[in-house]
Amino acid sequence: MPALLVTLLFPASATPVLYIDINSPGGRRMPVAVASFIVVSGDASLSRGVPKILEADLSLTDLFDIVPEKAHMETVTPAHFAGTPLSYPAWKVIGAEAVVIGKVETRGDQVSLEMRLYDATQGTMMAGKRYSGNPRQVRSMAHRFANEIVYAFTGVRGIFGTEIAFSARPERGKGKELFVVGIDGQDMRKVTDNRSFNLFPRWSADGQWLAYTSYRTGVPVIYLRNVATGAEKEVVRFGTSKSPGGFSADGQWLYAAVSQEGNSDIYRVRVVGGEAEKVVEGWGLEVSPAPSPDGRRIAFVSDRGGSPQVYVKTLGSPEELRISQGSGYATSPSWSPAGDRIAYTARLEGKFAIFTIAPDGTDLRQLAAAPDADCEDPSFAPDGRSLVYTYRKRGYSELKIISSDGRRERTLAAGLGDMGSPAWSPGR
Amino acid sequence: METGFPWKRVAMALFLASVLAAGCSKKQTVKSDSGAGPAPGESAVSAPAPGGEATGAIQEAPVAGMPPAQAPPAPGEAPTVVAKAAEAGVAVTEERPSRFEDVLFDFDKSDLRAEGKKICQTVAEYLRRNPKARVLIEGHCDERGTAEYNLALGERRATAVRNFIVSLGVPKAAFSTVSFGKERPLDPGHNEAAWAKNRRAHFVLK
Repeated sequence: MPALLVTLLFPASATPVLYIDINSPGGRRMPVAVASFIVVSGDASLSRGVPKILEADLSLTDLFDIVPEKAHMETVTPAHFAGTPLSYPAWKVIGAEAVVIGKVETRGDQVSLEMRLYDATQGTMMAGKRYSGNPRQVRSMAHRFANEIVYAFTGVRGIFGTEIAFSARPERGKGKELFVVGIDGQDMRKVTDNRSFNLFPRWSADGQWLAYTSYRTGVPVIYLRNVATGAEKEVVRFGTSKSPGGFSADGQWLYAAVSQEGNSDIYRVRVVGGEAEKVVEGWGLEVSPAPSPDGRRIAFVSDRGGSPQVYVKTLGSPEELRISQGSGYATSPSWSPAGDRIAYTARLEGKFAIFTIAPDGTDLRQLAAAPDADCEDPSFAPDGRSLVYTYRKRGYSELKIISSDGRRERTLAAGLGDMGSPAWSPGR
Repeated sequence: METGFPWKRVAMALFLASVLAAGCSKKQTVKSDSGAGPAPGESAVSAPAPGGEATGAIQEAPVAGMPPAQAPPAPGEAPTVVAKAAEAGVAVTEERPSRFEDVLFDFDKSDLRAEGKKICQTVAEYLRRNPKARVLIEGHCDERGTAEYNLALGERRATAVRNFIVSLGVPKAAFSTVSFGKERPLDPGHNEAAWAKNRRAHFVLK
């Protein structure tokens, strides 16, 4: 079978086509048609319901144009899943260069969802997957196949199905809870519900757990919480104030800022076992540790120079390099997944704005700023192509997503009080 | 393709890698997509969590003619679950009244001003007359700046106040400190007048 695949994908030459070059912004978009799915059994609304999820995902990128369903001319039949080719000219004539077809079968509490992506010009299958799970997992199956589509066109895996964790005040009450929302702004849900302060959510490397600080016993403690099951364990109890930074690349350590006697230092704490090692110390306040993706460095904030600034430390070496510039107020570093940029918040003419910089302190660029609002707390997407951040204007707040080149921006979520500390989950 | 899309070697490498992977491995009819998921053949569907969220691994199989999915990077060590969360809220979100005034601070500072020292002397006096009293000192900040930094700054403010009162001869054991960072402003306004009130240490008799 794999041998056959090779002939299918590369019929004549050994050089494959890269359909979309993601490094050329503003390039031509790929027109894709998502045909109505065949519902063999079960919920008939999935016929358009699943294509709608795929279309919404693909529209979130600037890589695709969706050929609307009302323009489609060919009706997909079960035979198309059994060897009969699509009528490609019927898709080409409406402008589609690629076609997605799908088939849903429900048996009891088990849904099977098959999806295929065809190149309408060459008549070849570019991606094909069959997923099975429970009916509540259909959305997540669609996100996964949307990732396959992005991968087939760009060679880079998509990030659909990833989520943003953040803290916010619910409608009533003065406390803060943790929330999670899909990157399409859907499926927002509360992760904690204890009416105290629940702050600083940070994802584990496998995307299953959130480290966070909670005041629910009256004093701040760092917990790890399984987002799906609610299972929880305590990780850091020593010290007074404390906030989690990020996990080590191997997932075994949690970096955290912990105050003792009013002085905050940076520690790493074993997730299993709990032993703590001091990583950065000094008379200043050292907070917001962010380990680099390769695990060799950490970025952190210290006010040792008189005001909070961003530093980078090579682990195991005494060297700590200040990378933020000016005398202002620079905080909340976040590494790009490739490790080549650090985004952070800094004060610009009285307002907070988001900048990115190389880890050696060169090549500073402004990414997001507003003359009458604060842009803070950047967190990179797992593909490095966009960031989520907090937008605050007097009492109003929302989460925004901006492309890493600053060209595209959208509101991810709004409507809660004091939304902040967004953290993008790792790839799924 | 008849289009003018560019060609790229990176893509070739990725495609070839996946094709090679497919060529080397035995064809699997069902492949779990998650390293943490169940082994093939095992049931992948688990009961939904309370609240109806989808849990459990989705099973994924390549359609005939496509290579199996590349394995995702191995997840980190999963932490041991000690207990389900006991969601017992404690009233930390409401301001508790104090018989003492708040000690106020400048922006991004934890130095005590003259009027703050006077308030600390009042607290010291009270504790000398009531040696069994215990005082919680809360540190607070205004809304500007990062929450994490403000949390540490609030702790430094609370500790500065405690250290000053201890220097007046009150035992350290009379105090505990907690920082609420910028989470619990006294004045909800968004101007200098509100911020000035919110940069404070607040005393609570336990």
